[in-house]
Amino acid sequence: MPPRIRLRPQIVRLQLHTNQHIPIIQQTHGYVSLATATTPAPPISETLHSVPPVLRYPPTQPPSYKPPEVRKTQLHRQYQSLLKSSPLLLLFQHNNVRAVEWMSIRRELAHALSKVDAERQAAGSTELYADAIKIQVIQTGIFASALRVVEFFHPGEDTMEHSQHPTSPATQTSAQIPNTTGSAEDPRFTHGLSMRAYQAASNRKLKLELEPLLSGPLAIVAFPAVSPQHLKAVLSILAPSPDFPAPKRRTNPDYHEPAVQSGLQKLMLLGARVESKIFDQDGTRWVGGIDGGIDGLRAQLVAMLQGVGAGITNALESASRSLYFTVERRRIDLEEEKGDKKE
Amino acid sequence: MITRFLTDVRVKFNPFSPRSKSARLFLSLMPPSARSNGMKIESQMLPRHSKEPAFLGLKFKDGKEMKLDLDKMRITEVMEEVDRHSRQLARKEELLGN
Repeated sequence: MPPRIRLRPQIVRLQLHTNQHIPIIQQTHGYVSLATATTPAPPISETLHSVPPVLRYPPTQPPSYKPPEVRKTQLHRQYQSLLKSSPLLLLFQHNNVRAVEWMSIRRELAHALSKVDAERQAAGSTELYADAIKIQVIQTGIFASALRVVEFFHPGEDTMEHSQHPTSPATQTSAQIPNTTGSAEDPRFTHGLSMRAYQAASNRKLKLELEPLLSGPLAIVAFPAVSPQHLKAVLSILAPSPDFPAPKRRTNPDYHEPAVQSGLQKLMLLGARVESKIFDQDGTRWVGGIDGGIDGLRAQLVAMLQGVGAGITNALESASRSLYFTVERRRIDLEEEKGDKKE
Repeated sequence: MITRFLTDVRVKFNPFSPRSKSARLFLSLMPPSARSNGMKIESQMLPRHSKEPAFLGLKFKDGKEMKLDLDKMRITEVMEEVDRHSRQLARKEELLGN
């Protein structure tokens, strides 16, 4: 228990008002020289350890540069996370597609993807993405800006650790918790909505490869992983071509309803962004045409390398074999010459 | 833009060229029921590295054909061009009392 200071501040105040000519020190029996320091002494635990720093905002919501409550900012954040989390992104232009048509297109897409997932599950694969792949109309300008942030803003390794909570006992007192204020102008913030991100993205000298595509009404299909099997299903529904034929009327009569067909006529595949590389229509179809996805590619590579190995052994063997033959031939020649001389 | 006198629209563009913007915007100006009302709309997309200029071919109800080079035109200019003829047709129609 901390030592008590004897002090009666009420008496001090009373006496100040009534008789001011008498010196206060004589009248009170407290230590008036300490009267200004009325804050209680800190608990002993705090005097032994240093005080953990205080975070002035929720760790998941660092202050944003633009007003965080408006729809634009939230969309910006949402698009950034979408771009960071989806390695494969298809870009469509939609020309006055009606709500009924959107609805039926989405229904067909979900149906086709769930079929793919069922197939994969039967094959024992655990990578099922049907629920995550959806066609989504985007705000083009905000999407372009979010893409600029994702492409051009790389804060590096010195990102602040917002995940450790200052008041949790697990956090060490020596932990470097950002002693930032609540203002968004602090240059130490490195999240996507920070001032630094905004400045990096507003540098007009940097050009996006996708920039010419980002105008007009756009919709995207985002994939959580590069999975050619799902891409194939999506392409055959949304942008049928000879390589990716649309489902036949007999197998899927719903697909040939007028609502779906008239909606699909108004959708145009513009391009794709695959692992931050940009592909046009043909490139997208090529990605969709990779058999068996990454496993298929691995199998192809292994087969190729095995072929190469066999070729190399053959080549090396053939060299030694031919050397053996030449040396042998020479020996025979020499022996014949010797035989001639003897005769 | 007045689209009710158009019967046939043909667009060819390379989406990766920044000048094809007006071609894409022209397509987005077609009303949602255009195809079901008998307008033919064909859009052809060029591969990424082709240098071919964006092209728009139109046919009107009176048979007039219009070919526009979209590479050097903004969408407002395209709309002006198309509307100029469409307004003539509209006036004719009005005078005939249909």
